Amino acid sequence: MKTIALYSIKGGVGKTAAAVNLSYLSSLLAPPALICDLDPQGASSYYFRIAASKKFNSDKFLKGNKKIFSNIKATDFENLDMLPSDFSYRNLDIELAEEKKPQKRLKKNLEELSDDYRFIFLDCPPNLTLLSESVFAASDLILVPLIPTTLSIRTFVQLKDFFVANKLDSSKIRPFFSMVEKQKKLHRDIINEFGNTPELLTQMIPYNSEVEKMGIYRAPLNAVLPNAPASKAYRNLWEELRALLEG
Amino acid sequence: MQIKPKTVYFRLNQTTSGKLLPDNTLPSRWHLKACLSLNERREFYDTFEWQAFEKGFVIEKKKNTLFLADLNTGHEITSLPFTSNPSCFFSDFLLPSKLREELCSCSTIRAFMKLCSVDALIRSYRMLDENEKTIAILRSESLFLHGNHDEEPFTYYFTISPYRGYEDEMAEVEKSLMNSQDIDIIPEFRELYKLMMQAAGHTVQDYSSKICLTLDPNAPIRESARRLLQFTFSVMRLNEVGIKKNIDSEFLHDYRVAIRRTRSILKQLKDVFDASETAYYLNLFRDLGKRTNELRDRDVYLLQQATYCHYLPPILQPSLKIFFDTIAASRKRLHRQFSRYLSSDSYKSFLEEWGAYLNRPSHPEPEQIPYAFLSTRSVAVETIKKAWKKVIRHGRLVSRETTDAELHGLRIDCKKLRYLLEFFASIFPKKTIIPVILQLKELQENLGIFVDFAVQLRSLHEQLALMPPDNLLAASTGGLMTILFQKQEEARLKFHKTFRSFDHEQTSQLFQDLLTST
Repeated sequence: MKTIALYSIKGGVGKTAAAVNLSYLSSLLAPPALICDLDPQGASSYYFRIAASKKFNSDKFLKGNKKIFSNIKATDFENLDMLPSDFSYRNLDIELAEEKKPQKRLKKNLEELSDDYRFIFLDCPPNLTLLSESVFAASDLILVPLIPTTLSIRTFVQLKDFFVANKLDSSKIRPFFSMVEKQKKLHRDIINEFGNTPELLTQMIPYNSEVEKMGIYRAPLNAVLPNAPASKAYRNLWEELRALLEG
Repeated sequence: MQIKPKTVYFRLNQTTSGKLLPDNTLPSRWHLKACLSLNERREFYDTFEWQAFEKGFVIEKKKNTLFLADLNTGHEITSLPFTSNPSCFFSDFLLPSKLREELCSCSTIRAFMKLCSVDALIRSYRMLDENEKTIAILRSESLFLHGNHDEEPFTYYFTISPYRGYEDEMAEVEKSLMNSQDIDIIPEFRELYKLMMQAAGHTVQDYSSKICLTLDPNAPIRESARRLLQFTFSVMRLNEVGIKKNIDSEFLHDYRVAIRRTRSILKQLKDVFDASETAYYLNLFRDLGKRTNELRDRDVYLLQQATYCHYLPPILQPSLKIFFDTIAASRKRLHRQFSRYLSSDSYKSFLEEWGAYLNRPSHPEPEQIPYAFLSTRSVAVETIKKAWKKVIRHGRLVSRETTDAELHGLRIDCKKLRYLLEFFASIFPKKTIIPVILQLKELQENLGIFVDFAVQLRSLHEQLALMPPDNLLAASTGGLMTILFQKQEEARLKFHKTFRSFDHEQTSQLFQDLLTST
C-alpha cells in the first residue's frame, strides 16, 4: 500500500481536483484505491456525492481501526472507496494534540487499511498544522500542486524550509505545476525559472474550465470527460507517479 | 478486513402493477435508474459427494473465471482465471491459488463435475439517494437452464446488493421489504442454489457412501438386513455412471465397498436368509468384486504417483514415468473392459435378479429360519460381540514375527467388525458407538498400511517382469521397492503396540458400554 497526500499550504491550487482524478485513475489502472477527505470543507466528498454518517466524527477518525472501517463508503466507481470528511475535522488539530504521538497517529490508522487498498490518497486541508505533520509522516509521497505564480512558489519554499527545520524527509515532496495557463507570461516565466527543479514532476495540469464543472457533474473529470485536456494531463501525471511509487 | 455488505434476495409473490418494487419500499426521495441488461452463463461444479456444498462453498464459472463463493451469502470469496470448459476437473489441475487450496481442502481425489449450466437474464438498476449517489444495485434475474430459452424461466428473483457504507440505509429497505405482503425474502443463497440444482435434475446432498439408514432396534433382523442390502445396492447403482464415464477413481472405490458390504451382510447375517440363496448370491458378488480388483489396483498406483516420485532421488524420478505410463495404459484397458461389462446383458440380468430378490415379498416360516425373526438389536449385539472377540483372539495369536498372512487375516477380521458397527450404528447411542469405531479405526489404519505396502510390493515385483529392459527403470523400481519395504516394516513393528492399545481394558469397557447400552 502506498499513501499519496495532495497537500499545499495554499488553498485553491487544485489539490481536490487532483486527489479526485488521481484516485479514480488509480482505481481503474491499479485497484483498489481509497480517497480520504481530510478537509472539513469536504469538497472531494461532495464531488463523490458522499456524506459521512451522522455518527462519524474526528474523534472516531483518530480512534482508527473499526471506527474507520465502518465509515468507509463505496463511491459509484468500482474499486474506489472513500472515507468522507466531517465538519468536526476542523478540530482535528486540537484532538491530535491530546494524542500521545500525534505525528504518528494517522500513519498507524492507515496501516490498518494496508490489506484492503493498493493506493490511498489524502486530500488535505490548506494549512500547516499538527495534522499536516501527521500527513507528512503517513505519506510515501507528498504531491504539491503549484500554480506558476510568485505566491505559490513562496509557499512551496516555506514548506521545504519547514521540512529542513524539523528534520523531515523532504525527498517525499514532489511538486507539479497546476492550473497552468501558458498564454500568461508570468506562468511561462515561472515555469522556465523553476522547470529544472529536480523534484518537480514533468507533467503539468493545464487550467481547464471543465475541471471547475466537476462541481456540477459531481464525478471525476476523467470519468465524465476522459478526453478533456486536463483529463489527459491527469492520466499522464498518474503514470509518472506510478512509475515513481512502483519503480 | 473488508466485509461485503449482505445481499438481499427476494421474490415478488404477485404483480406490482408494472412497478419493480411495491410502493413505499424506498424512501420518497430515492429512485431507481435502469443501468444494464445482460445475459450471463453460470456453470456450477461440485463433487459427487457435494463436498464443496458441505463446506459452505459454491463453485461457479462465469465467462473465463472460476469463482469460489459463500453458500449462504452468494458473495465471492476468491477467483481464478479459468479459460477451459471441462465437464469435470481435479483441484490440483488449478494454478496455485487460494481457490486451489480451498478446493483441495474439499477433495483432491474426487473430480469437480459440472452439475448445472444456467443462463441468467439480468436487468440492473441503480438505487439512488437524494444526492443521486448510488447506494445499492437492484437486479432482476430470470434463470433458464442452458439451451432452454424457449421455455419459461425455472425461477426468477431480485437481489439488492448494497454499496459499502450504506448498510444502515439498506437495513431500512430490507425491513420494509419484509413487511410487504407482496414480497417473499429468500433468506440464504443456498436456497437458490438448491433450486438451480433441482432444475438440472440433481438433489443436493443426495449421495453418501456412508450408511445413513435409521434401523428400528425392535424390527426383525430380516427386515433390517433387507434394508441394508437395498442401501448397498442403491450405492452400487449410483456409482455405475461415474465408473463408465471415468470421472474419478472414487466411483469404483465406493462401488467396491458396496459389494464388500453386501457380501459382509450376506455372510455375517447368513442365518437370516435362505442358505442356498445366500450362497448363490455370495458367489455372484464375489465374482463381481474380482472383476474390479485389478482396475482398483491400478487406480491405487496412479493415485500414489506423486508420492512415489517423491520417495526417489530426482535422478530416478523420470524413469518411474515409464512405469506409471505402463500402469496407466493397462488401467485404460481394464477400465474399458469393466465398462463393457457394466453395459452387458449379463450384468443387466444380474441387477434385475438381485433387485427382484431384494424386493420380493417373502414370508418364511419361523421354524425354517428362526434367526430371521430375532430383533435387530439382539442380532447386532450378538454379531458385534462375536466379531470383536474374534479380532481379540486372532490378534493375540499374531506371533512375534508378525507374518504377512497373520496381519492380512486380522485386517479382514477388523473390516468385518467395522462393517457390523457401521450397519448397526443407528441403533446404538452415538456417544457409545463413536469411541468404539475410533479405537478400531486406529488398528485398521495400521493394518491397512501394512497390507497396502505388501500388495504394492508384490505387484511391483510382478510388473518388473513385464517391463522393457531398462537400467534406470530397474533402478527406480528397485528404489521404490526398498522404500515400500521399509514402510511396511515400520507398520509391522508398530502393530503390537497398536494392538495392545486395542486389546486394553479401556477399549474392552467401551465395547461393554456399547453392547449393554439401550
